[in-house]
Amino acid sequence: MTVSSRTLAGLVRADSVHRSVYTDPAIFELEMQRIYGQAWIYVGHESQVPTTGDYHTTRLGDQDVVMVRAADGRVHVLYNRCPHKGAQVVADGDGCTGKFFRCPYHAWTFKLDGSHLAAPLKDGLAGTCYDPVRPDFSMRRLARVDSYRGFVFASQAADGPDLVTFLGGVASSIDNLCDRSPQGEVEVAGGVFRVLQPANWKIFYENLHDTMHARVTHESSVVAAREQSRQLGELPFELLIMTGNGEPYEFWEKLELRAYRNGHGYMEGIFDPAAATRDPVSRAHFEVLAGVHGEDRARAILGMNRHNTIIYGSGSPHTVFQQFRVIRPLSVDRTLVEIQVFRLVGAPPAVFERALIYANLINSPSSIVMPDDVEVYRRCQQGNRARGGDWVSQHRYLGKDKALDDGMVSINGTSELPMRNQFAAWRAYMLCGEHPREYDEEATHAAA
Amino acid sequence: MRLLDRDFDVSVAAVAGAEHSEPTLRSVEHFLFHEARLLDERRFDEWLALWVDDGRYWVPRFPGQTDPFEQISLFWEDKVLREARVRRLEHARAWSQQPPTRSSRMLGNIGIEGLDAAGHLVVRSVFHLTEWRHAQRHLAGTVFHKLATTEVGGWKIVLKRVDLVNCDDMFGNLEVFI
Repeated sequence: MTVSSRTLAGLVRADSVHRSVYTDPAIFELEMQRIYGQAWIYVGHESQVPTTGDYHTTRLGDQDVVMVRAADGRVHVLYNRCPHKGAQVVADGDGCTGKFFRCPYHAWTFKLDGSHLAAPLKDGLAGTCYDPVRPDFSMRRLARVDSYRGFVFASQAADGPDLVTFLGGVASSIDNLCDRSPQGEVEVAGGVFRVLQPANWKIFYENLHDTMHARVTHESSVVAAREQSRQLGELPFELLIMTGNGEPYEFWEKLELRAYRNGHGYMEGIFDPAAATRDPVSRAHFEVLAGVHGEDRARAILGMNRHNTIIYGSGSPHTVFQQFRVIRPLSVDRTLVEIQVFRLVGAPPAVFERALIYANLINSPSSIVMPDDVEVYRRCQQGNRARGGDWVSQHRYLGKDKALDDGMVSINGTSELPMRNQFAAWRAYMLCGEHPREYDEEATHAAA
Repeated sequence: MRLLDRDFDVSVAAVAGAEHSEPTLRSVEHFLFHEARLLDERRFDEWLALWVDDGRYWVPRFPGQTDPFEQISLFWEDKVLREARVRRLEHARAWSQQPPTRSSRMLGNIGIEGLDAAGHLVVRSVFHLTEWRHAQRHLAGTVFHKLATTEVGGWKIVLKRVDLVNCDDMFGNLEVFI
């Protein structure tokens, strides 16, 4: 079943969205084509495929893909499908395929860029259109693949903005994550968590910059961490990161929210960078960076204090604690989150330990913080199936956000600017440019 | 960093033989069954009291994972984190515990492996755990306990390592101890 453009256009208002965007499987199918089939989507990091033949499988929208390192050092992204019978060529997961891919079914082989290498008993194909150079006999590459400082993205559309243009202002978050390494280089390390959320993927994106939920949803973990700290007589890092959500409303109101084209944005950091310089781990990190860049530059790098960044369609890098929560929609009400942890190459080992603890305690399936998030996502998913009203509110500070040259900024950290910005992008993708609305026109409209 | 104290001996390989007397095995079995019952019945405070102060609870993320210091873990918890988890589970506004997680454990194949370098008893067992919250989930795997004797003749947990058969799978939230 398809959904008309007119219907789609009516689902997003300046101040609210229709509940069906979270619950309608037909809309989900269209999202897979019009968002995940068009946009640049994060595949993985180059460090996940360090040597020739190394591969990493994942899912871009509804497509199984494999990222692979070729002999010339280039990274390719292919659909995980043999052109003969359609079998998946490699098993899910990470591995090394050697100098070429070999399908386990009939031994068709492919070079690491996907092009056809050989098929057994070629005489049997004589007189047919079989030709190794015909794309029909190769593993298909995604239309466009590009890398930004080691972060590999792919687009299934042949046309569209290049990766840097697409990222716009949030490229600065990837820069800052890398710049925190004295060598300007990061690598995925320590493994990747995979967490299932029983909710639509857009709910998680909205929550990433939802400052009004923190002290309400997370009361249980905030109280637990505070009580534990009181008993202990100190606030170690592992409890500090659980208490952050408990800040009063005034704190959240002062934070800055940035919104860029294509649904991207970032939220200013929760944890005080000045406090961080007082702890020995941050001090050691600062000294290593200052040794390379000088103190001013080191201060600028570590002082760029961002909490969640959003790359819409890909997920949420966290620069300060070196994580990337990659968001993979599975169905209209199921979302997989891959949590990558990064080692800052050349930084003191304790910096990686801190990232590891943050991943274990905040982002792992066993986190004592996240289950309350996931529970409210689940309740939104369930609640929006009820006939209790059709619209989801995004009214907070509507029309008050300020336009900048490259996007918008909130005048109050509790603004629902990020949600409005995400749905402006969503609407533009879903209408396929049929009714193109410029970003600031949307904002002006919102102010009316 | 105390939580990632690398001096903590996470190995579960026995380096010396242990006395395999029937009474010892029976007392270990009794201890493990009791621990399972406390978790099934959500008697978390009593469960917390089964541990030595510097004990560690570990659920690796990978099969055969050698340590929790260089790789992520599904759980790596010291006393502070175990207690914080219990405080949250019992908080009236732990939304994700409405309804609470209920569970039932079946232990078997309990055997004494030997002693570790510090003389702790290394015990191996297997388990099947059925968990319910909205939907039923089945977890299974192997557990290694490292146990210290107490002055009054019982046992305390120094290390509990749970190797899930699906440790590298995708998971919904794991809220209670396994």
